Amino acid sequence: MTYGFYTESVSKEVGGLLKLHNISKQFDGKTVLNDISFEIGTGEIMSLLGPSGSGKTTLLHLILGLTGVDSGSIIFGNEDLTRVPMRKRGFNIVFQDYALFPNLNAYDNIIYGLRNKKGVASKQEVQEYIDFLELTPHLNKRIGELSGGQKQRVALARTLVTKPKILLLDEPLSALDGVIKESIKQRIQSIAREFKLTTIIVTHDPEEALTLSDKILIIDQGKIARFGTPQEIISQPDNDFVERFIIKQLQIKRQNIYNLFGEMYAHA
Amino acid sequence: MRVAFILVLLLFIGFLFLPLIILLLRSLETDQGLSLSNYAAVWKEQDMLGAAWNSIKVSAAAAVIATVLGFILAYSIHCTRIFRPIKGGLRIAIMLPMLLPTITYGFAIMYSFGNQGLITKLLGRNLFEIYGFNGLLMGYIIYTLPPAFLLIHNAFGYVDKKFIIVSRLMGDGTLRSFTNTILRPLVGALGGAFVLAFILSFTDFGIPASVGGTYPVIASQLYQVMLGSIPDFNQGAVIAVLMLVPAVFGIGLLHYLEKLNFHYDKITDIELPSHRIRDAGFGIAASVIVLGLLSIFAVMFIAPFMNSFPYDTSFTLKHVNDVLASGDLTGVYRNSLWVALLTSLFGTLVAYGSALLNVRTKLRARRATDIVSMITNTVPGMVLGISYLLLFNGSSLKGTFTIIVLCNIVHLFTTPYLMAKNSLSKMNPSWETTGELLGDSWFKTVYRVVLPNSVSTVLEMFSYYFINSMVTISGIIFLVSAHTSVVASKIKELQHFAKFNEIFVLSLLIFLTNLVVKVICDGMQRRRAVH
Repeated sequence: MTYGFYTESVSKEVGGLLKLHNISKQFDGKTVLNDISFEIGTGEIMSLLGPSGSGKTTLLHLILGLTGVDSGSIIFGNEDLTRVPMRKRGFNIVFQDYALFPNLNAYDNIIYGLRNKKGVASKQEVQEYIDFLELTPHLNKRIGELSGGQKQRVALARTLVTKPKILLLDEPLSALDGVIKESIKQRIQSIAREFKLTTIIVTHDPEEALTLSDKILIIDQGKIARFGTPQEIISQPDNDFVERFIIKQLQIKRQNIYNLFGEMYAHA
Repeated sequence: MRVAFILVLLLFIGFLFLPLIILLLRSLETDQGLSLSNYAAVWKEQDMLGAAWNSIKVSAAAAVIATVLGFILAYSIHCTRIFRPIKGGLRIAIMLPMLLPTITYGFAIMYSFGNQGLITKLLGRNLFEIYGFNGLLMGYIIYTLPPAFLLIHNAFGYVDKKFIIVSRLMGDGTLRSFTNTILRPLVGALGGAFVLAFILSFTDFGIPASVGGTYPVIASQLYQVMLGSIPDFNQGAVIAVLMLVPAVFGIGLLHYLEKLNFHYDKITDIELPSHRIRDAGFGIAASVIVLGLLSIFAVMFIAPFMNSFPYDTSFTLKHVNDVLASGDLTGVYRNSLWVALLTSLFGTLVAYGSALLNVRTKLRARRATDIVSMITNTVPGMVLGISYLLLFNGSSLKGTFTIIVLCNIVHLFTTPYLMAKNSLSKMNPSWETTGELLGDSWFKTVYRVVLPNSVSTVLEMFSYYFINSMVTISGIIFLVSAHTSVVASKIKELQHFAKFNEIFVLSLLIFLTNLVVKVICDGMQRRRAVH
């Protein structure tokens, strides 16, 4: 694992650390998030991991600015973003269902934001994103004609074109099947590396989180259960919930693979 | 966003809530201040009570028959293996009466079943006395069969026909299977069709105006009281309120009945077992219903092209040319077009805007548009028209196109509003957020994304508003003036002079115009769907 490397080398260019301090949020008197604090550096991939209803998507929306916090603060670089409205934060998201516009073809979806932010990306840069995500053969297709993986890549391109300071992904892999899943996973990793883009991912799948990210924030019922690197979490779960929810699941998976392929593959 | 919402609310406060409040006040107004004495007076009057009772009788009879016929048609389309193009033909033909004003139905009935009528001639004798109960019954059935059919037809779409097979496999007999898999799931829809047909008949004005004869019903009484020789606005207000009561009750019942409908999780497309007797029986029954319906209108397409129906049956274009040459009548037709066009443009805007603000924003009072839609659904056109008459009689709006268009927009609001709401709520809820993150304002996202994705619905709303404002008479009969007269109200006037050829030619004009609009809108919708 090479996390941390990018933090040192590029933090000056893209705005630096994202820090959340004591974030709390209630909906209708029910506490959804309670006293969340963490920080991540530029170019890092962080996963928000937890079972459904744990508050991870709410946390993602708070960072995005779609929902306001009740208390606590969100700092990016030197700027306090807590009360800054969504469109001025400069972050962007790919929703779980991609929210592509069906009246436009793939290409027009990708360049949608350019009409509002003229000059944010040159024609050549747009082409680079398209090449990078291997979308050239699909540009003239209607959204309904694209496969799940292609939709995901179009949505990524549409978001990247606006050059967000932080990329947020809500369950980016849950709607995809096996092989595509691995390929999108690699794609997300190389985006973070290539563009030195801080990326925050919501997921409920421990394997996905542990193999994709530099840091993982495990949330249970609105509280932080554990925050650390994949190695730290595996070696020191430190917590009954993490033990049950994460480690146990992975052990079962390992056992399944062991049963199928024998010990050699399980450790490969 | 908020400004748009406030504008919509102001529109409905000014042209729905206020007029209705005034109506209520006028119904209570007497020389000695507010009291219930107007109601007491109406109650004591034999005429009024008799008319109300007549209305209930004939509307209920029509509603029962329309529901049964509507069911037979819907069943033939959904649960038989009749040749597909025949089903398609049935479905289209049944909708045709909707393109005509109800007042025309009456004249078509007269020319078909009257002493010299087309069908009377063909059969060689009078079937029954058409003026009064029989004529009304027939008119109401024609009027309410299409909407009753539509309601049952749509409900059939939600019935999982796999259960017909399951029921058979479990050993159910024909009757039991029919009851459990068809009737029971449709109970709500059948009840709904009855209630809807009842309310429509109860509040319609066009049919009593043409074939009512001396048989008084509540709608004709109301017209008499308001625009007769001695207008009595207070008494009119009372009758209007009395007309409103069953409508309110009926709509409440309709909501309740809707809950009785089954909602299967998944609708499977399944091939039905073939059954020759069933198919032949229903095929014939459905064709008879539709042909019977169309045969009544046949005279409309024949009579105006004859020199003097039924005495001189040689072909002529004289009547058509006369109407087209008459500046008066073409002016009226032009008025109708204007009103329909303005109504559909602004009506679609208002209904779409209301639905948009309701479904796709987080405005605090956005539910208000739902309440508006419930009320406009309840208030009969005649009641709304009278309320406008009472409120705007002294104002500069009186006798203008503006008031007619506004009345139509409000009167017809519910259906287009629900169409828009239905389609907008199915769209991805994250579009606006995505648009905002990509730099759009809310209006810009609506313009660039939401609107282009609802073109098909907008076309449907437009054609609904257009066709219905072409044919409505009950809403505007109290609001037209000499220079804002539209075709539907002109027909009422021509009736006095027994100018039936003109009536039929004008009706044909409405029919053809509506047909063209419908075909264009459907065609554009289909083209969008293909892409």
